[in-house]
Amino acid sequence: MADSSKIGKEYAPVSWEVERGKIREMAKAIGDPNPIYQDREAAIKEGYKDIPVTPTFLTVPMMFSTSMPTVINDLKINFLMVLHGEEQYEYYQEIYPGDTITAVPKVVNIEEKTNKSGKKMDMVTIELLYKNQRGENVARARSLLVERK
Amino acid sequence: MANNLYFDDIKVGDAIPTLTKGPIAKLQHVMYAGASGDFNPLHTDDDFAKAVGMKDGVIAHGMLIMGFVGQAITGWVPKKCLRKFGVRFAGMTKPGNTITISGKVIDKKQEGGENLIVCEVVAQDETGDVKVTGSFSAALPMKG
Repeated sequence: MADSSKIGKEYAPVSWEVERGKIREMAKAIGDPNPIYQDREAAIKEGYKDIPVTPTFLTVPMMFSTSMPTVINDLKINFLMVLHGEEQYEYYQEIYPGDTITAVPKVVNIEEKTNKSGKKMDMVTIELLYKNQRGENVARARSLLVERK
Repeated sequence: MANNLYFDDIKVGDAIPTLTKGPIAKLQHVMYAGASGDFNPLHTDDDFAKAVGMKDGVIAHGMLIMGFVGQAITGWVPKKCLRKFGVRFAGMTKPGNTITISGKVIDKKQEGGENLIVCEVVAQDETGDVKVTGSFSAALPMKG
C-alpha cells in the first residue's frame, strides 16, 4: 500500500526542452488538425509568439523522465495495480519551442477510499508546478494515481 | 480556426460543438505512445494486455482520450484562453471505438480580473459508455 508518511515529499526535478517537432508529433498522434500546433505563421496570426504546446503536452516531460517509476517505487505502490484516475492542468502562460520547462514532482495527498463495491483503494496525488527558463510559472499539472488492492 | 467567441454571447446551458474521433486504430496507440513517452505495453502489445487480464487485448491510453477532449476544447475556444482543464478517467477505450466529445457551459464568473466560462465535458463511445468526464475554464473577451 502507499506509504502515507510520504505526503509532502519532493523528488528530483523533471526538465524538458520543448521542441517544435515534438509539439507537431503530439498534435498528429491525437489527430488534431488545428494549424496553430503545426504552422508558426498560422499561430502568429492567431496571436501566439510561435506554435503553442497542446493542452495535454505536459504529459511528455513526465512520461519521458524517470520520475514516475521513481515516485511509484518510493511510495511502495504496486505498479501492476495502478490506474490513472484523474489529470488536471492549470495554464499560466504559453509554452513555446525553445523553452526549457522544469518542475519538482511533489506528493500532495495520499488517502484511502472505499469504492461502491466495498473495495479499498489508495489515492495518491502528485503535483508538478512547471517553470520556464526565466523562472516564471507556466503551468501546474496534478495527477491522481489509484492503487487497487 | 480563429473563433470570435465573446463572453457576452455565451449563456449557461449552451452546448459546445461536438467532436467525433475514430474508429480508433491500434496504429494510433503506437503513434501516441511515441509522442507521449508512455510505452506501457498494455496499449500496444496484445499478448501483454491479454496476460494482464484484458481479454480483447490492448486498450487506448487514457491520455489519448484526454487529448481528444483537448482538441474539442481548443477547436472551439482559442488555446490561449484556456485556464484550467481536468478530467477523470471513467472507462477503458478499445480499438474500433468511436469517441464523441460533447459538453456544455455550466457557469460564467469573474475571477482575477478575467471573464471566465466554466464548461463540463464528456467523452463517450458509440454505445454511450462514458470514457472521460471533465471540465475546463476559459477566459473570454467582452464585446464592449
